[in-house]
Amino acid sequence: MPVNPSPSRRTRWWTVALLSAAFILGSWGVGAAAPDDALIPLERYSSTKAKTLASTHRRDMVRFYEHVYWCLPWLAIRNHTLGFPKRPGVEGDERYFSVMIDVDQTDDGSFAAMSRERRVSAMFSRYGLHILRQMLAMTKAASDDNVAGFSVALSWPKPGLPATQPVSETIALFVDKVSLAEFLAKRLPTADFVSRAKLSVFDGRDPVGLVKLDVWEDTFNSTYKLKNYEAPKEAKCS
Amino acid sequence: MRVSLARIVLIAGTLVATGACATGEDWKMWQSHSTHFASGEHGFFSMRNNKDGSNPQVYRSDIEDSRQQNWWGLYAITVSPSQIFQN
Repeated sequence: MPVNPSPSRRTRWWTVALLSAAFILGSWGVGAAAPDDALIPLERYSSTKAKTLASTHRRDMVRFYEHVYWCLPWLAIRNHTLGFPKRPGVEGDERYFSVMIDVDQTDDGSFAAMSRERRVSAMFSRYGLHILRQMLAMTKAASDDNVAGFSVALSWPKPGLPATQPVSETIALFVDKVSLAEFLAKRLPTADFVSRAKLSVFDGRDPVGLVKLDVWEDTFNSTYKLKNYEAPKEAKCS
Repeated sequence: MRVSLARIVLIAGTLVATGACATGEDWKMWQSHSTHFASGEHGFFSMRNNKDGSNPQVYRSDIEDSRQQNWWGLYAITVSPSQIFQN
């Protein structure tokens, strides 16, 4: 039994120690945002126009992703939904700057008491509008002639169901960029904004019929603080 | 001999009674979470934060972990992005 370990043994020991430290720090630490999981991979686009848009605006999209990740931790971008898709089943190649977001919406009873119309309107007013505002402000998509508009999809657990039978409700809204900019600047009335937007609502996987959308101001995302959570300073959340 | 047989029947009965309703997916999930802590992340979170709840710290990765390890999420019926967006 040697008193001093051989060099190869020492190397092995250091390797194990470093790997263990990396594992512990990785599990313990703040973790890094992974924008590539959120972005639609280039190879999944069906047109050159979409690929070009995705490459041109990649940096802005990563910045937007990081903003949601660090500053709005109650929201999660669904994998491979951030990018420039089009509306399904529509002729042509009109591209929308889009994202799909899962919302950690808990229910204190009042959410379940709302009608579907009211829930959809409340969720869009609270999260959809804020996300669209950020997408417009944090990227140059609005000034790109190849971008037709913006789109946001929000998904949340449908309230009032047993925990063993979870189902999501989802709203998806597409709107042209001029209407969005005018609405956010308060130059377009809500009724006109809603009539120009294309709205779909889903109960689980099933599309539901016409849902009347109402939109109002909601400052939740800019005022809410998650208990015991501090975003890193470099995230510049405020 | 009779005792051994009774034991075997009892054990088999218990296994059937406790496991018969579990699906293959449930078994897989259970097998990968057989320790006190549901996951390594759960364990590290508990060690980092005091037991009495003083000085709690929540990292962004904790929120992500809790979301990913939310068991009901495994079974949630939700719309596929391809129903909304066409790439």
